Amino acid sequence: MKFVGKSIKRVDGVKKVTGSLKYVDDMKMPRMLYVAVKRSPHPHAKILSIDPSEALRLKGVKDVITGEFYTKRGGLYLEDKNFLAVGKARYRGEAVAAVAAESEDIAQAAVELIKVEYEVLPAVTNAVEAMAPNAPLVHPDLGDYKVAPVFFPEPGTNISNHYKLRKGDVEKGFAEADFVFENKFYVPHVQHVPIETHTAVAQMDADGYLTVWASCQSPYAVRQALSAAFDIPLNKLRVMSPAVGGGFGSKAGTTLEGIIIPLAMRSNGRPVKLTYSREDEFENAYVRQGLHATIKTGVRKDGKIVAVQNEFIWDGGAYTEYGVNIVKAAGYASAGPYDIDNVHTDSYCVYTNHPVGGPYRGFGMSEIHFGIEQNLDIVAEQIGISPVEIRRINGLKPGGRTGTGELVEVCGLMECLDNVIRDIELDKEEPASGPNKRRGKAIACGWKAPSMPNNAASSAVIKLNEDGTAHLLVSAQDIGQGSDTVMTQIAAEVLSISPEKITVRTGDTDHTPYEWQTVASRITYSAGRAVYEAAQDAKAQLFELAQIKLGVYKRDLEMRDGFIVSQIYPDRKVAISELALGLTFEDGSGVHGPIIGRGSFIPPNIRNADKKTGLGDHPVAFWTYGAQGVDLEVDVETGHIKVLKVASCFDVGQVVNPQMLEGQLEGAILQGMGTALFEELMLKDGKILNKSFVDYKIPTSDDMPELVVSFVENPEESGPYGARGVAEPAMVPTAPAIANAVYKAVGIRLSTMPLTPEKVLAAMKAKGQTK
Amino acid sequence: MRPFEYFRPSSLKEASELLVRYGDGGHLLNGGTDLIVRMRDGLTLPSAVIDLKGIEQLSRIREDEESVYIGATVNLNQVGRHETIGKSFPYLAEAALSVGSKQVRNRATCIGNLCNASPLADTATPLMALDAVLEVFGPEGEREIPIRDFFVFVRKTSLKPGEIVKGVRVTKTAGQGVFTKLARRKEVDLSMVCMTLLKAEDGWRLSYGAVAPTPVRLPKTEALLNQGAALEEVLSCAVSEVKPIDDVRASREYRLEMVKVMLKRGLEQIEKGGAVS
Amino acid sequence: MSKLTVSFILNGEEVEHETLPNRTLLKMLREDFDMTGAKEGCGAGECGACTVIMNGQAVNACLVLAPEAEGSIIETIEGLSDGTHLDPLQQAFIDNAALQCGYCTPGMIMTAKALLDENPTPTYEEIKEGISGNLCRCTGYKKIVQAIQSVADQNRVGHGND
Repeated sequence: MKFVGKSIKRVDGVKKVTGSLKYVDDMKMPRMLYVAVKRSPHPHAKILSIDPSEALRLKGVKDVITGEFYTKRGGLYLEDKNFLAVGKARYRGEAVAAVAAESEDIAQAAVELIKVEYEVLPAVTNAVEAMAPNAPLVHPDLGDYKVAPVFFPEPGTNISNHYKLRKGDVEKGFAEADFVFENKFYVPHVQHVPIETHTAVAQMDADGYLTVWASCQSPYAVRQALSAAFDIPLNKLRVMSPAVGGGFGSKAGTTLEGIIIPLAMRSNGRPVKLTYSREDEFENAYVRQGLHATIKTGVRKDGKIVAVQNEFIWDGGAYTEYGVNIVKAAGYASAGPYDIDNVHTDSYCVYTNHPVGGPYRGFGMSEIHFGIEQNLDIVAEQIGISPVEIRRINGLKPGGRTGTGELVEVCGLMECLDNVIRDIELDKEEPASGPNKRRGKAIACGWKAPSMPNNAASSAVIKLNEDGTAHLLVSAQDIGQGSDTVMTQIAAEVLSISPEKITVRTGDTDHTPYEWQTVASRITYSAGRAVYEAAQDAKAQLFELAQIKLGVYKRDLEMRDGFIVSQIYPDRKVAISELALGLTFEDGSGVHGPIIGRGSFIPPNIRNADKKTGLGDHPVAFWTYGAQGVDLEVDVETGHIKVLKVASCFDVGQVVNPQMLEGQLEGAILQGMGTALFEELMLKDGKILNKSFVDYKIPTSDDMPELVVSFVENPEESGPYGARGVAEPAMVPTAPAIANAVYKAVGIRLSTMPLTPEKVLAAMKAKGQTK
Repeated sequence: MRPFEYFRPSSLKEASELLVRYGDGGHLLNGGTDLIVRMRDGLTLPSAVIDLKGIEQLSRIREDEESVYIGATVNLNQVGRHETIGKSFPYLAEAALSVGSKQVRNRATCIGNLCNASPLADTATPLMALDAVLEVFGPEGEREIPIRDFFVFVRKTSLKPGEIVKGVRVTKTAGQGVFTKLARRKEVDLSMVCMTLLKAEDGWRLSYGAVAPTPVRLPKTEALLNQGAALEEVLSCAVSEVKPIDDVRASREYRLEMVKVMLKRGLEQIEKGGAVS
Repeated sequence: MSKLTVSFILNGEEVEHETLPNRTLLKMLREDFDMTGAKEGCGAGECGACTVIMNGQAVNACLVLAPEAEGSIIETIEGLSDGTHLDPLQQAFIDNAALQCGYCTPGMIMTAKALLDENPTPTYEEIKEGISGNLCRCTGYKKIVQAIQSVADQNRVGHGND
């Protein structure tokens, strides 16, 4: 291949290195108004009254709205949320009113002048406690909420989804096991921390046509959600996402757009803008849900796992419109990438008075694997085999069956494992850097599938220009992962024209074609396939015209370097430029007209799993498998962990752009490392104690260990050129691999993230005392 | 940010007069890396911001045979990279370079770091160990404040209304010293605990940050060290002389443990001659 | 509150500008001069997305008050390339795929520029430490360090060092 598999330079590179790419917060429009938000100081409180009169008297204030202006509930899978609180506030920081003013400073000052009376309600700030029968209800009306039919809320409780997986007979499995172990793990809330915070501008024309510019991953999904929430027909609502400064899931749904739209509706055509501060981002954008996991494992003496029983209790926060699906994804992936005959899983999405949980890179997988992969090491040690052996014995291989009973056809897990064992030199003992240091190496595996509706669709349009160049239109959003470049490469490959001749345009629901969402590591796979089909369509049209022009059968034609060429008579060829606007005959007449390639794609044959058992023969588009190895050392006096090296390998099907793919894996490692070592939203009674970079630390360049990444390529049949998604899976094994390596180094097992020096030291002391 | 008047006086007298005129609403601006964030967050609401960077004499590091003097608007990178400071007080240089990021240190000043009176001011512990002296200009003339009398409580100093710290003076001391800082992340983080241990000609000096409402010296521990007491005794004494709290960065218990570990390691390092004199 | 006139050199041009004092250099650059390359990632000097070069030193523009710019020389990402040719650092970022979402990129490049201006041939470790005031959530930093290192390597050759 000419362009696929090559490290083509990013098509958005020049704009980004010159600082000339305009992100939404860089937009300044004439007569723009600025928004500030009044937020609830209580985690759970009835709103008795809101008095905006003093705020409205402040010079420069144009409008104040509250939730009463639009009381209709919305949500992606479960309609449980309002953009501005209606009746009561369910988490600390929830928007209760919003101000539009001539400047940010005025809007901020006005917010202070809004008077809100609350009746404080008992709050529930722990998911396990929230499941108790007498717990305060966050959503007493859950039974009335509209919900997609694949989710199972339990009205009258705080459980907004109870997912069940029942494979085989777990009790029989435990009875047959030589050993049964049970381990518990806890993963706290973390935040995505894109460097660009959430931001949006909305403007409504006099004729009711609404335009929204938002830093969002999924313009079409946002359009749909806003259309439903505000009763605006889709042809009167345009969503544009000009650039996204990092998403990681946090910009997948709708957040602040719904706050500014009512203000735009009432501002007589003036654009209205809201940009979150970093503090807002921590509290009011999505956060990653917390997880209490219990894993019970039945294993035979020979290392074969015969039964697994999981209980996952997810802290979904105040609204779980999106979170219910994370809980489902975690449920059907709960066996991990292992072949286990008897699996019994209950995965609960639980409302609490905490910040809103939502999609975060990995979509539940990082959280459950923190338990699954540590559990495996614990079990292996208990029965006297190595972590590698237990994974070789139980790891999925072609011919095996997943937790939902699906037959595994393509799976490079064992090859990935081999690569990381090699790259981390797992068997080579190496000295620590000093007398107070202990060194440890370990591994972890991981898997993930795109969690999306079965019929999640992609589309693409290619317009050929009369000079032989092309415009590629998609709504797959380049949120940093490099999709603009990947889409360009795929189109270039099919049409055999250089990538510089293709301009990609994205993110405008009026002008770029439908894309379900830029999430789920599905863009290279799904949008890439739509681009492939669009380019093939354009090619087919070119061949139709070329066979007339050249007098050869179209079956004998091929695309070569900007020409349509006969494979039999290589001198018979015609340039794309000559046919781009149609075929012109010698007499000046023409046929066909401009070439526009159209491609649409839905992953084939994904079917709902059985509602009662969760079993299904093809419930997801594909699984991505991989492994990581970690080499680290622990300071035994301070408890500090220094990660020295991480090796990562994934089965990507087909590498489209090696350099950018490396970047995905490298970035994922550091993000995983951050959650393992530092990151946690410290919540006390519903209040975040560390909602700034001062006390919420993410890794810096100085924390970067040596990174070694590699790939395995077992092609995905339905993907473009065999490619499958990897951006999220790449983060999944990092935290448990680090935890496993800490065990190797100092013999302590930490069941909660993050692995802070303090926890490490305390665990070491506790271990010393018990000796 | 709330409105305020901005002044850039060119003399200390002018600055002090402004400070007096605006009373509690007057705030001095050295580097601004703390003040501007506090103003953004609405924690400090000045009616006047008085920028000291227009006062030429405050912007220099001066030295003579006996001492080194760091002016009020000298930034932390200038302190950290100063040749004499690097030679004579490497632990002070290290402390200066341990604050924030490079960008922050290009603005933040050593004097600002002290005047914030944060319990965890990184440059405070070496200066405490050095018995540094703050030179102060005020409405009633100039005076000197020994650094151990300077910190009163969290964000509170012994400065009187209208007083401005011109700079800090340290006497060149032969000896070996170590600065160590323990933080969650190696770069750009606040101290969970920081410490300076100095073996001067006249004996040991030991100071800690982030273990009490102000940076502290540990005189009893110093005395034990001077007497050549056993390590265990020294370490327990150090723990008894500090009063850390629980916060988001670390627990009291962990901090106490680290007070010992850092001291033990500091002593080892000095014994090995690892630190420069 | 009185407005002030601030005179400084912005990307090589002398400018005179009237501003209120209660705003940062970052807001002034972005809103008044429409130079939106520097970004506000935190407003508290923790992320480095707003890094510009002031009198030869990298600073967080969110931690400088607009009037403090008086008499200074400010360089921003907008001044780094002449519109036709990229600065070697910018080219190195593209060649090494040292950017993803691009939001930290202008600040990162300005920090790297100040670093290389001060020390044209930093080591790998010096680069890692030198850019630790700039957070990037996408790349994992490796390719950024490599990009800067590639320019340092060119400088090394240029300077006739080993």
